[in-house]
Amino acid sequence: MSMDAQVENIESHKSTKSDEVVIELLGVNKWYGEFHVLKDIDLSVYQGEKIVICGPSGSGKSTLIRCINRLEEHQGGDIIVNGVTLDNNLKNIDAIRSDVGMVFQSFNLFPHLTVLENCTLAPIWVKQTPKAEAEERAMEYLRRVKIPEQASKYPGQLSGGQQQRVAIARSLCMNPQIMLFDEPTSALDPEMISEVLDVMVELADSGMTMLVVTHEMGFAKRVADRVIFMDYGEIVEQNTPEEFFNNPRSDRTKLFLSQILAH
Amino acid sequence: MANLDASSSDVTFKPKPSLPPPPNTVGAIGWIRKNLFSSPLNAFLTILSLYVIWVLVSNVFEWAILNAVWEAETRRECLDKVGLAGACWAGVTHWMKNFIYGRYPDAEVWRINLGFGILILWMAPFWFPRVTGKIAIGASAILISPFLLGYLFAGGEKGLFLQLMISIAITAFIFSWLHVLVCLSSGSTLRNVIVSATGFAAKPDNVQKYPVIALFVVLAVVVFALQGGWQLEEQNTNLWGGLFVTLVISGIGIAVSLPAGIVLALGRRSKMPIIRVFCVAFIELFRSVPLITVLFMAVTMVPLFLPEAINPVKIVQAIIAVCIFSSAYMAETVRGGLQAIPKGQYEAAQALGLSYWKMMTLIVMPQALKLMIPNIVGSFIGLLKDTTLVSIVGLYDLLLMLKAVSQNPQWNGIHTEPLFFGAVLYFVLCFIMSKYSQHLERTLGAGQVRK
Repeated sequence: MSMDAQVENIESHKSTKSDEVVIELLGVNKWYGEFHVLKDIDLSVYQGEKIVICGPSGSGKSTLIRCINRLEEHQGGDIIVNGVTLDNNLKNIDAIRSDVGMVFQSFNLFPHLTVLENCTLAPIWVKQTPKAEAEERAMEYLRRVKIPEQASKYPGQLSGGQQQRVAIARSLCMNPQIMLFDEPTSALDPEMISEVLDVMVELADSGMTMLVVTHEMGFAKRVADRVIFMDYGEIVEQNTPEEFFNNPRSDRTKLFLSQILAH
Repeated sequence: MANLDASSSDVTFKPKPSLPPPPNTVGAIGWIRKNLFSSPLNAFLTILSLYVIWVLVSNVFEWAILNAVWEAETRRECLDKVGLAGACWAGVTHWMKNFIYGRYPDAEVWRINLGFGILILWMAPFWFPRVTGKIAIGASAILISPFLLGYLFAGGEKGLFLQLMISIAITAFIFSWLHVLVCLSSGSTLRNVIVSATGFAAKPDNVQKYPVIALFVVLAVVVFALQGGWQLEEQNTNLWGGLFVTLVISGIGIAVSLPAGIVLALGRRSKMPIIRVFCVAFIELFRSVPLITVLFMAVTMVPLFLPEAINPVKIVQAIIAVCIFSSAYMAETVRGGLQAIPKGQYEAAQALGLSYWKMMTLIVMPQALKLMIPNIVGSFIGLLKDTTLVSIVGLYDLLLMLKAVSQNPQWNGIHTEPLFFGAVLYFVLCFIMSKYSQHLERTLGAGQVRK
């Protein structure tokens, strides 16, 4: 990949991973109708850990992270986030959702609100933050994603890369402990991918726990503590990026890597 | 093609400047060439249409303006002057009061004017951009003004409850306008003014509301005491008529159907089976029955099921029928709008931890309602026109009043003129609504490009 050369030059990022488990998946199973999309998934995520999840489409990687904030309901096994077990208790779901930020492939900004309002809405209405304080914090995060000058514009007036950075800032405004990224760069033009990845790298350096579904292997090599490869609803292989890319163990992983790194 | 400057060793890219379009494709002449005379057939059709329009307009102009009679005491007089070649507008002007107020006594007509004046003033803050808290003002206008307006129109004995509600309505109206004046003069809010005047500014947020509430209560009590002895002469609803009745029925229908429609639409999409089944049944039942049937049911059959002591008023029954019917239609309009909102919006709202009601009121409804404005206003226009059906159950709405002129001995047989007038009046009302909806679409959509 073109990014490889670039990545080699950058000194390797220090891991911020600790021993404390923040997300625990125990034997998670999920079906869409007849289709068995997640099969006995076991996974522990540590505080500050960065995990990149990759795999072919339909392998269940998006579904996996969407189960963590209950956008999808799992039908078997347990998901424990920050010590809270996810079940039908709405209070638990709300508690987890305000601790877990999510960035979507299609940005999903609120088109009827300005960038600033997008960022302050949840803090004001969910966390009861006073408006002035919420706006101050939102501006801080908009500066961090390098678009404070767009605060009064509407999402429709921004480029895809800018919208995705706003979406990241919007999630950060809720002060989450964990960030989920569902293919954050897949809907972007090539020239805009790097501006979003830069923001994500910076976020990784700040010690955020991150689960990233992506095909950006350069990003995986650069920041991930662990790379997970999924296919047919199972975790086929997980390892450190060095081992994963240099010594893939299963033949399925080798095939996948040879295909995505072929060009 | 890229303009590559090859003279220097570094190749620099310079985009070409944009040029204006060819002259005969733009402007008025360009438009006419393109749209009216693009081919011999189109040119012929254009000329033919212009001729047809000219014939129609000139004939109507001759009848309605040139040959029209404006001053006459009876239809006979009109016929003697111009025969059938000119309109007899004298009949319309003589009956104008009835067209607007029905048979409401002349001496009491001020009550109707005052009522509608209050309502317009109450809604007026919507047109002032600097005013804050418009939703609260609008909600108060819709929820509590009916008590005040209803009493103004109907009059009669005030019970304790009605007197209380009227006091609250008057106080809310005064508060709204005090707030508007504060907003317009200083850009502050009434709440801030009261809080700082009473020295509560340093207190925490949840205590600050007490002086505001206290002032409201005191004012309401004063109003309550003042209007204790004040009573209006009762006006039987049989006397109500004309445009007044049309506006009352359609106004209440509009004010009720939108919120009721939203609730029904949300209920229809609910995951709770009992709520969903009830909403689906309600919507499908009333959408599959003609409005006339619902009106007849309400007016003739409902009293059979009620105890004899309750003697329902016909106009109230008709209003309830119209509300039920239009809510069912509005529910489907709203559901259409809700379905246009992408799933990602719900997911983003949920991922941020918003509860169902917050997600609906802050994220989904504002977008859906904006998309639905043309359809909603379309339903409102339909509702305004559908109210003519209440004439069938014997309410003297605008249409029945227009037809009643021809039965009057002096104006016997005058049909065209009042109906022509009615058509123009309905057109003006509906056209205003339609234009206002377009204006709303533009202002609410300002600065937003949907992706």
